[in-house]
Amino acid sequence: MTSLAMQRRRATAGRVLAQFRSSKPGVIGFSVLLLFVVIALAAPLLADVRELNPVFARASGNPQWASPGEFGALGTDHLRRSVWVQFVWGSRVSLFVGLAATILTISIGSVVGIVSGFVGGRLDAFLMRITEWFLVIPFLPLAIVLASILGRNVWNIILVIGVTSWPSTARLLRAQVLTVKQRLFVDRSRSLGAGNGHLVARHILPNVSGLILANATLAVPISILTETTLSFLGLGDPSSPSWGKTLEEAFVNGAMVRNAWWYFLPAGLGILVVVLAFTLIGRTLEEIADPRLGQSR
Amino acid sequence: MRRTVVFILFALFGAAIAPAAFAQEDAGVVLRIGLTQDWETLNPTAGFAVSEYEIWNVHYATLTDKAADDFAPIGGLAESWVASNDGLTYTYTLREGLKWSDGEPLTAEDVAWNVNTSRDQEWDNMLSTVINLDAKVIDDRTVEITSSVPDPKLPNMDIYLVPKHIWEPIATDYDATVEYEALDGVGSGPFVISEFTKGQSVVMVANPNYWGWEGETPPIDRVIFQTFANPDAMVAALQQGELDAIHGFPAGSAATLEADPNIEVVAGRQGGFDEIAINGGAVVGQPHPALLDLEVRRAVSFAIDKEAVIEDLWFGLAGPLETMSPGADEAKWIPEISADKAFTYDPDRANQILDDAGYLDTDGDGIREMPDGTNPIILRHAVNTDGDLAGPIGELFTGWMQAIGIGVELASYDQDALFGVIVEGDYDTFFWGWVPFVDPDPMLSYFTEAELESYNDANWTDPRFEELYLEQKVELDPQRRIDIVHEMLTILHDAAVYIPMYLGPDLQAYRTDTFEGWVRQPADVGPVMFSNSSPSYRLLRPVGSDAVGGSSDGTNWVLIGGLAALVVVGGALVVTRRKSTADDRE
Amino acid sequence: MLATEQSESRGRTRFILKKVLGSLLTLVFVLVFNFVLFRIVQSDPIGSLFRGRNVPAAKIADLRTAFGLDESLWVQFWAYVRQTFQLNFGISYQSRQPVWNEIVSAIPATVALVGISAVFSAVIGTIGGVIAAWRRNTWKDHAITSGTMVFYSMPDFWLGMILLVGFAVVLGWFPVGGMSDAGSTATGLALLLDRLHHIFLPALTLTLAYLGEYALVTRSSLLDVMGEDYLTVARAKGLRDVVVRNRHAVPNALLPVVTLTAINFGFVLSGAIAVEAVFSWPGLGKATADAIRGPDLPMLQGLFLLFSAAVIFFNLLADVAYAWLDPRVEGA
Repeated sequence: MTSLAMQRRRATAGRVLAQFRSSKPGVIGFSVLLLFVVIALAAPLLADVRELNPVFARASGNPQWASPGEFGALGTDHLRRSVWVQFVWGSRVSLFVGLAATILTISIGSVVGIVSGFVGGRLDAFLMRITEWFLVIPFLPLAIVLASILGRNVWNIILVIGVTSWPSTARLLRAQVLTVKQRLFVDRSRSLGAGNGHLVARHILPNVSGLILANATLAVPISILTETTLSFLGLGDPSSPSWGKTLEEAFVNGAMVRNAWWYFLPAGLGILVVVLAFTLIGRTLEEIADPRLGQSR
Repeated sequence: MRRTVVFILFALFGAAIAPAAFAQEDAGVVLRIGLTQDWETLNPTAGFAVSEYEIWNVHYATLTDKAADDFAPIGGLAESWVASNDGLTYTYTLREGLKWSDGEPLTAEDVAWNVNTSRDQEWDNMLSTVINLDAKVIDDRTVEITSSVPDPKLPNMDIYLVPKHIWEPIATDYDATVEYEALDGVGSGPFVISEFTKGQSVVMVANPNYWGWEGETPPIDRVIFQTFANPDAMVAALQQGELDAIHGFPAGSAATLEADPNIEVVAGRQGGFDEIAINGGAVVGQPHPALLDLEVRRAVSFAIDKEAVIEDLWFGLAGPLETMSPGADEAKWIPEISADKAFTYDPDRANQILDDAGYLDTDGDGIREMPDGTNPIILRHAVNTDGDLAGPIGELFTGWMQAIGIGVELASYDQDALFGVIVEGDYDTFFWGWVPFVDPDPMLSYFTEAELESYNDANWTDPRFEELYLEQKVELDPQRRIDIVHEMLTILHDAAVYIPMYLGPDLQAYRTDTFEGWVRQPADVGPVMFSNSSPSYRLLRPVGSDAVGGSSDGTNWVLIGGLAALVVVGGALVVTRRKSTADDRE
Repeated sequence: MLATEQSESRGRTRFILKKVLGSLLTLVFVLVFNFVLFRIVQSDPIGSLFRGRNVPAAKIADLRTAFGLDESLWVQFWAYVRQTFQLNFGISYQSRQPVWNEIVSAIPATVALVGISAVFSAVIGTIGGVIAAWRRNTWKDHAITSGTMVFYSMPDFWLGMILLVGFAVVLGWFPVGGMSDAGSTATGLALLLDRLHHIFLPALTLTLAYLGEYALVTRSSLLDVMGEDYLTVARAKGLRDVVVRNRHAVPNALLPVVTLTAINFGFVLSGAIAVEAVFSWPGLGKATADAIRGPDLPMLQGLFLLFSAAVIFFNLLADVAYAWLDPRVEGA
């Protein structure tokens, strides 16, 4: 029984993998993302973190406002810091915040959605009411207000994004759980005397995990873009330079009138490419998880 | 579908272009000035920002004026004055027929009432000038001002005189006074306030009753001060001719502006400086305990690389500074600090000082702890979001402190919030600046006990400094007074609570093709506006005889061209659309 | 016949009534939430109102009474609700003016900017979506789909920065910010042209940023509709392709687009915070960005309430519109 289930699961995984591999957008997105993950993880090898310190940058004789031809791959900024180093280390913070916030978002959303869908009744009505309320509150202003009150650090940003963006996940999962619940085999196992925990672990979770994954992949871009916007508006963590903070500093310190494109183009492109990659992967996963989507879109 | 859209586009742009009958109205001669600072209040008893002082310089004439060249007292509302033999009493004679902008006569009574009321009510901005004075009306045009102690500032009387007939009802209550919005528009200077939109602009209109017009029609109808959140936008507005002059542009734009043949750049020096202040912990909010130790403050001072700031953030336009200039005449008031006492950038020495004083990094996390091994030294550095250098300085400060094992937490506040934070003492360090008055007294007064929880932003006092402050206040011998001031500044320097970074010029630029007559105050080195009495405003004339200043219509043609192009493209789309429909029919 | 109509309209009325009640409940939730955030999470609301300035004790006592701070939480909440309904959001730290006045003066600029962008993006985006769906899997479809995806994936303010550098700094065709020339005294046509000149770049930024959503929704909605039988019938009747598309397919596919538009209008007020900051456009977005720099908490609170109320209102409007447009909605 156990080995059979495992076999079945392995077969499913293999099928998903094969389907994913056959999707060109999915593969492209995954490769690009892999590249950025490698950059982020290998940051200490690729770029000297001390270069983020303007005092060190000056002591090492970096020029100021140097264009890419004049210094390194991406030039320098108003404080002589290498833009390449900022890009590499910024990818770390942006990806980390994006992923951590997504985990929080998906956790809250999944718990609410599964509980709501599985338990049903009054609890469902109550949870869905709250979900709807959070869905209605405009997301960015809420994040801004929370970040302003809580203060500027990475963990608060993650908390703010997590707390503000879970409702759509919750709604989606609830719907899926309801569908799964309807299916016959759930009723059959229940009649055989399986406990609720068993039901959720054995039948509900495996059937919604694909959706959770797809949803998580699509939630990352939102988290990254939100972090970027919050940082740009001055709510970012001053000690963890993300791509958004680079954009803020470039904007505030006159990179635009100087036409110092090398200061603000890389960070924005980084965000664009990573967001696109996650979107491509997410849509591919979504199609696999919900084949009805596959044909027409 | 697409045809409908094109039609809508056409209609929109058509609507934009159609009412050509409404030509641009003649707005008169307008002088437009851009600045990056905002205004908090235009009430001269309550504000403190340079932006606010400039409005008062223009709105309120003073009893005595200051020469553009050297700040020497010259006639203002008073045409002449005589001193008594003991030098304590001055009798001022007002010009004939003075009027407020609303037509009410401006008399000796207005002057006396201002001096006595601001003294009795302790109006902050006037107090250091009038604290020992008493004014008496002799007749409508004569006022006698007596000081109870010898006063080196007299006969200079430069407090802003508010109209008694407007202010008298509220002046009995301090709170009512400082909360007054002061938008009554009644003044005595060349232009008076007509509109104030916080965060945007102050519009001033010519005051025909200003004595300095000498009965002639004012050559400029309106002065508009426009504040810019984005200094780059301000620079661009000057280049495009939307502004006639700008104040406080980023040093990085100096080269670009200098290259423009129609723009003159002025790096005006009048004693202005920026400092990193350390919370001295004299009262209320306390700093990190390490900062109460002189050795730690000295170490922090040695770790600050002023040269880097002058070079990288000012592009060499600022001058080096070891202790502050308390008055506009830098050469006169700045003392010599001997090389062995000067805080010249030396991180190794800073580290040595901290090691010797027992502040060691006992847990190896890169941050030193107190000598007993607890409480890591992490400083709360306040960043003023209204200043364009505060951000980069915050980054640099973090780096400097990191080099000597001190952590930094940055907290951002706007100018007004920062003032509140300073008054509460809820900070360890911050970066801000001052532009001193001509007389050093007010600037020095800020480090006395009386100013704690107000302008004393070092949160620091010293008994000897206090004594000397009172001494210089009554010292009539100019050289002796300079010596006292020098001693005071040396004390302040050695206490390492207030680290002046550089003598920062006011970076200003004006168009040479719209107005002429800009004067620098003081001569040759000073700024052309936002100076101590800002004489430019009454001397400016439009370039050429019937030129209408400021406005340029050129930019609109670009738009019209763009619209025309869009219309053509839109038309082309319609044509292609028709063609493809025709293809379909076949 | 008559009876059916009556029951239909009764069902519809009940549906709308339910939606109105739901919206009111949501509004109450937002109020409670706001109260919790600003009165409980944030300690000492009076102290932060003055930020260290010397304030007479009597005045503090007055304010404590006005805020009901010495009373129970319920009394405080009631006082807060009362003030809110009197549009009394307190005094802005930064301007010392009532928050409500500050907000009202910033609304027109935002409505103009985001309104124009919303209309253009909806129209252009929908057209793009129709073309993409109708020419599915051709180069047109791929170009439109990937193009809109790219715009959709970038931070909108970054797009604004690039457009600003390109068109305002390098080419000098447009001003670098603001709503009018500095100190402009223009009137009539000159004023209008001046405004158009200034609104162009920020409006272009927002239009491009919003396009994607409309294009994608229209495309997928149209693809759904195209699978349905009556279109095949229409085609079989020999109607020309374009006629089938414009008369039959598009109107049916537009329903979700209408809903999207209505919902997006709710976000109109809060939609351009960072873009307004980039272009110094003096609307609610820039007010928010400025309030963050303070931080100006009363202002943030007021803006947040307004943004939420706008979304709730337009969601309700979308529901009502849906009820009228879609015959299938009946007392659901």
